[in-house]
Amino acid sequence: MTPAELTATTTGRDLRVPFGIALIALACIAPLFLGNYPLHAIIIALIFLLPAHGLNLLLGYTGLLSLAQAAFFGIGAYTSALLAVHFGTPFYVNFLAAGLMAGAIALPLGIPALRLRATSFVMCTLGFVIIGQAIAKNWISLTRGDMGLAAIPKPWFALGPASFTVSGTVSFYYLVLAIAAIATLVAYLIVRSPAGRNMIAIRENETLAESVGIPTWYYKLVVFMISAAFAGLGGSLYAHYLTVVSPLTFQMYYSTTMLIIVLGGGAGTISGVIFGSLLFVGLTEALRVAPELRMIAYGFFLLGLVFWFPSGFAPLIARFWSFLERRK
Amino acid sequence: MTGLPILDISGLCKSYGAVRAVDGVDLHVDRGEICGLIGPNGSGKSTFFDCVTGLAKPSAGAVKLDGQDITGWSLNDIAREGRMLRSFQKTVVFSALDIEENLVIAGQMFTFPGILSTFGIGSAARNRVAALRERARELIKIAGLWDVRFQPAGKLSGGQQKLIQFASMLMPEPKLILLDEPMAGINPKLIERVVDSIRLANTSFGVSFLIIEHNIDVVTSLCKRVVVLDQGRKLAEGTPDDIVQNQAVREAYLGG
Repeated sequence: MTPAELTATTTGRDLRVPFGIALIALACIAPLFLGNYPLHAIIIALIFLLPAHGLNLLLGYTGLLSLAQAAFFGIGAYTSALLAVHFGTPFYVNFLAAGLMAGAIALPLGIPALRLRATSFVMCTLGFVIIGQAIAKNWISLTRGDMGLAAIPKPWFALGPASFTVSGTVSFYYLVLAIAAIATLVAYLIVRSPAGRNMIAIRENETLAESVGIPTWYYKLVVFMISAAFAGLGGSLYAHYLTVVSPLTFQMYYSTTMLIIVLGGGAGTISGVIFGSLLFVGLTEALRVAPELRMIAYGFFLLGLVFWFPSGFAPLIARFWSFLERRK
Repeated sequence: MTGLPILDISGLCKSYGAVRAVDGVDLHVDRGEICGLIGPNGSGKSTFFDCVTGLAKPSAGAVKLDGQDITGWSLNDIAREGRMLRSFQKTVVFSALDIEENLVIAGQMFTFPGILSTFGIGSAARNRVAALRERARELIKIAGLWDVRFQPAGKLSGGQQKLIQFASMLMPEPKLILLDEPMAGINPKLIERVVDSIRLANTSFGVSFLIIEHNIDVVTSLCKRVVVLDQGRKLAEGTPDDIVQNQAVREAYLGG
């Protein structure tokens, strides 16, 4: 091995892994020193991490800007809510069904949408959110319209005769933390797989990717479905956490939040998205102390981000790693 | 089968409205041959390439690769077979990625049996990628790019990028490579290296070539047979010596 290769692998082993373990350990003991409100903010951030991971696969790795994440988030939330309310199914069934449903619906939506060129595709995905909201509002026999679905049970698990309900903030925090960790691992494995390399090739140059035999259209469709499934799973957690869903679950504001998480955190990096969701969702929750100024402050923060960190915080994180490396 | 030409094109036409960019061209490339395609700018060489490789749909005519009719297949359909690959006049590489990644990407679709298998993380997938990496490193050494292999491809010179592109095309072990002006815009020192690489690929890997090139010295040294296009039609065909002597070619292209 050359010296360059050696340092690359040693940094991978020596710094990132212990740092990651420290972060996970910190996350595990967080309820010991955090109050309910900060925990609530982190729960929301971790819930949004799922659709953000999905969007990152689509935008950060494959280069497709989609605003449809809120639509799939809503589909997942309603799927879980309807199953729980009507059939009383346990949480893991609702949760998996939400992901499968969102992924499955992405197939017929993606086939025509992905035929469109860049800007038209973005507009089309924006349309999905609006259509989703219109359906949630008007299919009253199923969704109860604007009244929404209430009294969704807190997540409960059933194994034979034993059952267990996740009721308090702390236990919900651990549930979401575990799921977010698994989702992060899955996103990481996808990115590191040969398919992840093909996705990056499509982002870098689609025509060249085609000329080296990569079936770009199929990849885009598969990634679109995976990203929808991630959003659906997030929606399911959201429904079970808030215990209500309404047509407002389908809102553009959520799509833009997910977009800000990915772009602000650093598109095309897993750590950037984790950082982004904690920062941006955490920030909006923290700013609730000054409700009148909240959105104004948030707006200024975003402006500053665009000026000082045009490619998000990922380069900053990368610089932090190389700083640690030099110190060693 | 070995007697058949690897590429056999008959009566290929491409019209854009009233303009006939390619007008009934017959051309074949024999197995193991390096064939040259020359002609003045606008004579339809690149359009011809586009029609053969599926970037454009021919208006008429037939393209046979290895005896199989591939007329009207898309670029991706043809590329996925891995038998015939093409380069572009404007060199393109995955510029943010290093050379090894560029080459691994270029080989991936030919070692994985399907799209879903590329999402695999098991030892089967890892072994496939390791084999690709091995081959990529070999080709990087042959192309003389070993010292710069960790640099992003976009940071390298135009000539080095041509070499990357060329090495990428060798990843799937193709039978035929179509090169669109491989020497355009690279410095004279590197021309030698590209010529050597083409010759090496031809002799050691048995790849046949069809090459569009304006540098007549390169064409004469590499090709045994040259086809001349002018205004979408085949003007002449023969050995490089015949072509250089040909009066019609001198008037149309070589400048008297």
